[in-house]
Amino acid sequence: MHPLSFRHSSLLTRACLNGRTLSTLPASTSLGCLPTTHSPTVSKLAFFNSVTGDSSKIPSYQVLDVFGVPIEGAKVPEISKQFAWRLYEHMQLLPTLDDILCSGQRQGRIPFYSLTSYLKYGEEATVIGSAAALADDDEVLSQYRETGVLLWRGFTLDGIMAQVFGNHEDSGKGRQIAVHYGSKQHHFHTISSPLATQISQAAGVGFALKRDPARRSKNVACAFFGEGAASEGDFHAGLLLAATLPSPTLFLARNNGFAISTPNSQQFYGDGISARGPGYGVDTVRVDGNDVLAVMNAVKEARRRCLESGRAVLVEMMTYRVGHHSTSDDSYVYRERQEVEDRTKNDNPIARFRLFMESRGWWNETNEDELAFRLRRDVIKAFKRAETVKKPDLKDMFTDVYAEEPWNIKEQREELMALLEKYGQVWEPWQNELRTLKNGGKPVD
Amino acid sequence: MAAARTAFSRVAPAIANVRARPSLALKRAAFARGYATASENSMTVRDALNVAMEEEMVRDETVFVLGEEVARYNGAYKVTKGLLDKFGEKRVVDTPITEMGFAGIAVGAALSGLRPICEFMTFNFAMQAIDQIVNSAGKTYYMSGGNVPCPVVFRGPNGAASGVGAQHSQDYAAWYGSIPGLKVVSPWSAEDCKGLLKAAIRDPNPVVFLENEMMYGVTFPMSSEAMSDNFTIPIGKAKVEREGTDVTIVAHSKMVTHSLEAADILAKEGIKAEVINLRSIRPLDIDTIKESVKKTNRLLIVEGGFPAFGVGSEICAQIIESEAFDYLDAPVERVTGADVPTPYATNLEALAFPDTPVIVKVAKRALYRTN
Repeated sequence: MHPLSFRHSSLLTRACLNGRTLSTLPASTSLGCLPTTHSPTVSKLAFFNSVTGDSSKIPSYQVLDVFGVPIEGAKVPEISKQFAWRLYEHMQLLPTLDDILCSGQRQGRIPFYSLTSYLKYGEEATVIGSAAALADDDEVLSQYRETGVLLWRGFTLDGIMAQVFGNHEDSGKGRQIAVHYGSKQHHFHTISSPLATQISQAAGVGFALKRDPARRSKNVACAFFGEGAASEGDFHAGLLLAATLPSPTLFLARNNGFAISTPNSQQFYGDGISARGPGYGVDTVRVDGNDVLAVMNAVKEARRRCLESGRAVLVEMMTYRVGHHSTSDDSYVYRERQEVEDRTKNDNPIARFRLFMESRGWWNETNEDELAFRLRRDVIKAFKRAETVKKPDLKDMFTDVYAEEPWNIKEQREELMALLEKYGQVWEPWQNELRTLKNGGKPVD
Repeated sequence: MAAARTAFSRVAPAIANVRARPSLALKRAAFARGYATASENSMTVRDALNVAMEEEMVRDETVFVLGEEVARYNGAYKVTKGLLDKFGEKRVVDTPITEMGFAGIAVGAALSGLRPICEFMTFNFAMQAIDQIVNSAGKTYYMSGGNVPCPVVFRGPNGAASGVGAQHSQDYAAWYGSIPGLKVVSPWSAEDCKGLLKAAIRDPNPVVFLENEMMYGVTFPMSSEAMSDNFTIPIGKAKVEREGTDVTIVAHSKMVTHSLEAADILAKEGIKAEVINLRSIRPLDIDTIKESVKKTNRLLIVEGGFPAFGVGSEICAQIIESEAFDYLDAPVERVTGADVPTPYATNLEALAFPDTPVIVKVAKRALYRTN
């Protein structure tokens, strides 16, 4: 041992201990650490670029393999047959809903519909697995592919259709693009179109939860987003703040391989989204997003950690966007049809869980047929019903720009009421229009 | 023809893919379907923008395009179609989803001598990048004592589309128009788009280029001058699209279409409206408007933006501050978008923006001709 380094080390060691004690540590350990960060000093100049420490990819947590068989060492959660059925039904509901609403869009019955999951199979397990792991009153701020969370929490098909059609049952009063659902009752914040704004907002919601004595240590805020949206600055801000302030916020990233046409290879250079978590000091896990039990286990544990520490936790769910980005997209322009078909066949979240249930004797072909029939029937029924439901009340045309009604809007409302009184019952175009509204457009004070 | 061919190969030897042709625009026009009145050629707005970018990229190697979906997808609205094939990945760059990020990259590239064309999928999303546009691109030349110019073009759809809700429908002309250091352009026709985009790319100042999604598919006749690959339109000059004597209608972008339609309807009643296509928001060509007001004595400004603090407010203020005030026979009228976040329902959305009947009604009001 070089005598100089010995002395060096004891001096620095004392510095490390902030002068609290003069006892020296054995000289055979490191040279010491930097005074303010406790970062140990080393003599070898070595760059690092890996979260795992050995340049291997961050591993993905899995419970069931693609055939629904628990992998070696897997921790299969203890669930009842009823619960398994509930998981499966909700997973199957998503593509059923998509099929019917997409046809509705193509037939011109609704103008715009972005897919909740995909035209074939896709991200059902990520959404339903997460929903099942959260508490029903955890605050959810999602992107636009997480309708499954709402459905899991009891939002009805009528509610879905009300938003899509903008009829009077829509709590959004028909003001939002289709699929931009929101439900205060279900703790699901209204979806906002600009990407990733929900990520930093979730950190704020978490902060508010922490400040509320009734909800502190009971609820978390939860942001969902795709791997593309995670490129936005809001991702950085959201994780940084939730980790640093801190605030009890869960960040659930759906890595589905594409952002419209942009594949992962053009979206980022690092090891997915999970590699970023430790950069912010955030507990992170990567999970096989097509394994609903793995997602459930992972998100449950993530939530537990989030509540306990009161700070950010990040879960990256690896999956594949089987369908097009939306009904305005044709993804075969930028990827091979064969690739999509292969993934559908070989890594199918719904099939995987069905095989698991079958292996337990919880499911058979009759159940499958019955379910398919029932779901389709229920969705179509709600669709048809929504087409007949009246549009919102006339008074809703004038509300909600501000909390209190400004003078110019009051003036317009009064003008309309006067005109309706004069012509509402005698001019046919207006008579027809009024008939489509709730309350028939009766006067509003 | 031959001269042009050599000109191409001289200017851009590196571009092996681009087959030299007499005029890219002429070849495109041969396939274009549309109505041409005064000239043989016509082009859609989308093609005009595409050709403008292509010609400038051929002419100047430092020009490149970046944005979401611009390369392999051919553009979210297909405006950059074919550019990746012609110029390669180094000049047509797909970026990750971060407007703030890629606007920042564009500004940085411009500060270092390149000429980026930064596409925003819509200017609604550019709000995430507005610090880069205003504080960096707009102010650096001044704050650096003239040492660091920023020749960047920010372009993309602005204003309302169809059934896309409040967060996709705002018109930003007034916001960017108030910034000293930026130039702001709002073209209407295919000729406007081609000439102004080429001028914007060549301009050493940062330019905000506001397009309109609903205009992309519209075909316009193109003069033979406009088909040339050296055709530019000066930024800061408005164009009188239709001459008249009774009332002046000033508009920009899609509202020019409605204003011209309104002028047709007014003409049937013997009212000759003069329609001015602003073309540029900043610099604002107030002189053309003044001359027109001196002739007609009545002024309407039609825009898709919100009424408060808008383009119309600015024009009105400048007119009454000038000698044109003495020529006004009626108050200046502004026809604007409604003061409400744009509704999603298509019928309400249509009512939230000016249309031809509203312009006709207000023009008559300015002429004291309403019942």
